[in-house]
Amino acid sequence: MNYKTIERIKIVTGLSAMAIIVMAWLYPVFFLVVNANKTASQYAKGDKTEIIWGTSIIDNAITAWNKGIGDGVLNSLLYGFAGSALAVFFAFIAAYGIVRLKIKNGLIWFLIIYSGTVFPFQMYLLPLFEAYVAIGIYNTKIGLILVYVGLCIPFATFVLRGFFLTVPWEIQEAAKIEGASNFQILYKIMLPMAKAPLLLVFLIQFTWIWNDLLFGMVLSRSVGVRPITTVLTGMKDLYASMDGPTILTATVMASIPTLLIFLLLQKHFIRGLTLGSMNAGKG
Amino acid sequence: MSKFIGFDNYVRLFLDPNYITPIYNTIIWTVFATVFPVAIGFLFAYSMQFLPRSNYFQILVYLPATVSAAAAGVLFGFILDKSGLINQILSLIGYDHLVRDWLFRAPENTYSMIGAYTWQTTGINMMIFIVGLQGMPKEQLEAAKIDGAKGLTLVFKIVIPMIMPYFVIASLLALINSFRVFDQVWVMTQGGPGRYSEVLAVTMYREGFVLFDLGYAASVAVLISLVGLVFSYFYLRSVLVKEDVGN
Repeated sequence: MNYKTIERIKIVTGLSAMAIIVMAWLYPVFFLVVNANKTASQYAKGDKTEIIWGTSIIDNAITAWNKGIGDGVLNSLLYGFAGSALAVFFAFIAAYGIVRLKIKNGLIWFLIIYSGTVFPFQMYLLPLFEAYVAIGIYNTKIGLILVYVGLCIPFATFVLRGFFLTVPWEIQEAAKIEGASNFQILYKIMLPMAKAPLLLVFLIQFTWIWNDLLFGMVLSRSVGVRPITTVLTGMKDLYASMDGPTILTATVMASIPTLLIFLLLQKHFIRGLTLGSMNAGKG
Repeated sequence: MSKFIGFDNYVRLFLDPNYITPIYNTIIWTVFATVFPVAIGFLFAYSMQFLPRSNYFQILVYLPATVSAAAAGVLFGFILDKSGLINQILSLIGYDHLVRDWLFRAPENTYSMIGAYTWQTTGINMMIFIVGLQGMPKEQLEAAKIDGAKGLTLVFKIVIPMIMPYFVIASLLALINSFRVFDQVWVMTQGGPGRYSEVLAVTMYREGFVLFDLGYAASVAVLISLVGLVFSYFYLRSVLVKEDVGN
């Protein structure tokens, strides 16, 4: 055998080994989807590795939707969109001011905003809870949107500051000479250029809000306010009234949005998410 | 108005035998939920280097990291259930003596949950190492290969030292996150049975929001935050040092 053949055999062996490992790695996902598509009795009595072809998952999804998942999905969509969009908006303006308008003590302002990611989030829970109860926004949608906006601003500012640092200064100076105001430069020049980073930050923060459990648990109580993660984990507590496949279907439903965002953006997103998770505060 | 009681809550935290278990479990979590995801993440990243089109594999390995810890916790609750997948597979391959109620026995519950946690967080570590390996100077690697270094020697003597900054970053990040782990434990066992699988973040939540002993919960929160801040300090320092080198 010549050198090339040996190399090829090595690569094929390597690829097959990796394929087997990755299939085993994703077996829990297979288990999830297969068992979500069963009826309660099929799941309880049957083989957990068996595939049953059918449409039980649709019935399960309807049951889950009516037992709270529907409210959870709608609430989390609201929190994800509103929380992330507002955070990106404020962060965009803040980063613009700090980098492009060279406000006084810009770096200090940035560090103050960014310090929001340094402390473990557990530290915020008790003061937030007491304050929310005291001013009457505990267990309200506004309350949750507010906390998510606040938690998302530091990372968004961090990324957008990075973006503004890369924009050539000539563009801004040329616009200034043409008589454009600071606001016009932001709106007409920077905004179109920043579309990609803005979208990326928005989706990363949307994912984070969608996946958050802790703040939803601490700051909300009733069905009309609770986010999807809290509803989902609550279903598991009520084991008796909810069968396995329905809860598994609810798990699928709770995972679809973030999974879609991930598959849509893949590489960019992995970079961003890794960067996002590297922000110390977020768990 | 409540009265100031000095350090009583902190003293209680360290003297009350009830809280030895959460502290002990937190240490177990911090050690194993750091070592496993970082080590397996590195193994994935390193072996991907030798495969064409490995980006597809990367995406698949990363997949579990995109769903919420809550969803993964619920899923693994079913997998580790008494009549769940793990036990079914174990009896299928003839290991009936290993069949047990994974989440209702200590220390199995803590280790099972660390396993589920590893499944979710390995992808992030893999990506950190892939970035590190891509930035590795190829000449040095080739030189070492010509000198006859291969296999494990190459990995331990050349590759790992070269990407050490990434090991430090990945490990510190894993430390920060595993020290304050909450979602997985709360969803799978709520710290139970009893307090056998409780970790400090769960203690804090339970004391504050289930038992409403806010003062005591606050002292646990302060402890978590202080230790977390120490980790964060070293983490940020190593990230910033790396950025300086990069510039």
